[in-house]
Amino acid sequence: MAVTEEKARADVRRPERYPAFPGRELLQPLVRWFPAALIIVAAIGVWEGVVALNDIPHWKLPAPSAIAEELWDSRGLLLRHTWVTLEEVLVGFAIALVSGVLLAGLIHMSRTLERVIYPSVIASQTIPIIVIAPLLLIWVGYGMQHKVIVVALISFFPIVVNTVDGLRSADPDMINLLRTLGANRWQVFAKAQIPSCLPFMFSGIKVAITVSVIGAVIGEWVGSSEGLGYLAIRSQSQFLSERVWAATVLMALMGISLFAIAALLERLLLPWHHNQRRRRALQGG
Amino acid sequence: MLEGVDFYAASGELVSIIGPSGCGKSTLLNTIAGLEEPDAGSVELDGALVARRRLGLVGYMQQKDLLMPWRTVLDNVILGLEVQGVSRRDARKRALKLLETFGLRGFEKEYPYTLSGGMRQRAAFLRTVLFSRDVMLLDEPFGAMDALTRAQMQEWLTELWGSLGKTIVLVTHDVDEALLLSDRVYVLTARPGRVKTVVEVDLPRPRYYRMVTEEPFIAIKAGLVAALREESLRVVEESWR
Repeated sequence: MAVTEEKARADVRRPERYPAFPGRELLQPLVRWFPAALIIVAAIGVWEGVVALNDIPHWKLPAPSAIAEELWDSRGLLLRHTWVTLEEVLVGFAIALVSGVLLAGLIHMSRTLERVIYPSVIASQTIPIIVIAPLLLIWVGYGMQHKVIVVALISFFPIVVNTVDGLRSADPDMINLLRTLGANRWQVFAKAQIPSCLPFMFSGIKVAITVSVIGAVIGEWVGSSEGLGYLAIRSQSQFLSERVWAATVLMALMGISLFAIAALLERLLLPWHHNQRRRRALQGG
Repeated sequence: MLEGVDFYAASGELVSIIGPSGCGKSTLLNTIAGLEEPDAGSVELDGALVARRRLGLVGYMQQKDLLMPWRTVLDNVILGLEVQGVSRRDARKRALKLLETFGLRGFEKEYPYTLSGGMRQRAAFLRTVLFSRDVMLLDEPFGAMDALTRAQMQEWLTELWGSLGKTIVLVTHDVDEALLLSDRVYVLTARPGRVKTVVEVDLPRPRYYRMVTEEPFIAIKAGLVAALREESLRVVEESWR
């Protein structure tokens, strides 16, 4: 054989940017996230200092320490409302995911369906959700249903758009390759178009899961008797600023955690995509 | 694009098509494979006319390796078998036996982005071989490689072709490659592509890259280069007019 394995292996090795040392892999995330953590810690420090030095009343702007205290003292109450909001987010998002992917599939499959469906999909996003939410309240009432619908409405759009783009992103040459192998339309769809679509779909999911939290809070503001959004707006009218802030912190944490879970799933389910992207970034840098 | 290209490849022959760029070489292969239909004329396989539905009857390796980034090397090379309905387990078993020959052993679980250009190309070729059709079309398979790797790959391919017993139609713009590999070389004219000359290559087999510098090779090459040069000059002249 002309090409030996050793030589081929040598082809693959790319020079490392930094010399390796034991535990480097473990340390890397710490190094990477250090600047972000530093900025957040510094901002909190400045905030605490400004509040203390200027003697700002707590109902105007509570100090971070006061918010932390509230988070701990009212943990039972906060947690109860967090669960409510989380449930609305998850159910609404699940509905958006299923309907969004189905809709994208339909749009992709037929030009006619695309012309019929796509404009209404886009129109549904141009009407502000804050306008629709009260109307929905009249139709479906105060229950959880209302919040779930608002969440689904706000989060299905990024899923549809990204999935449609993803289905179209398959390399035409790769489709031709499959055709020369005798593949039928379904095989082309399953073996080329769906896998090409997955990274796009995950981008959509990451956007959608983040806006779902906003959707749930909007829904609760418009009308509800529980959830973090409800708690925030009620505490506001009682001048319990610490509690408003505490609820806000929990909403942000919820959004960040859900995003992180989506990113982690993407990494586990599409290892090739993650590594390819990372390698490109390393080589580019 | 093409006009009256008549050529044949007997069973087990390796035939090259060479010509100036833009003469429609790829169109020709696309047509044989069934991706495009000829306006006139026909494609015959095994002496039988295959009008429609040629797709899936011949192996076709295009210029790009077209490995799927989401499949490991092993799962990429079994793509053809999978499409034909062979179970993944059986297909993988068959592929594993051939990995060694294609210089891919130990890389079966790797994703394509980790491979070098030469390995990717060999993987694409293995995918075509495993699809196991009697006729294989190769469109500039080594076009994107550096000269050294290409020479290695050419030697490797002649050796492999000897043991495969397949009919190969190779499109290239590399004269040495065409002569080194083929039994017969068709020289196409510039647009519209027509067969200008046919060169029989009666060099002994097995062939090695060093033959490129030897007398009999050079003699055939001189004729081929002259024909090609005439064509490219004609293109240049036409573009000046």
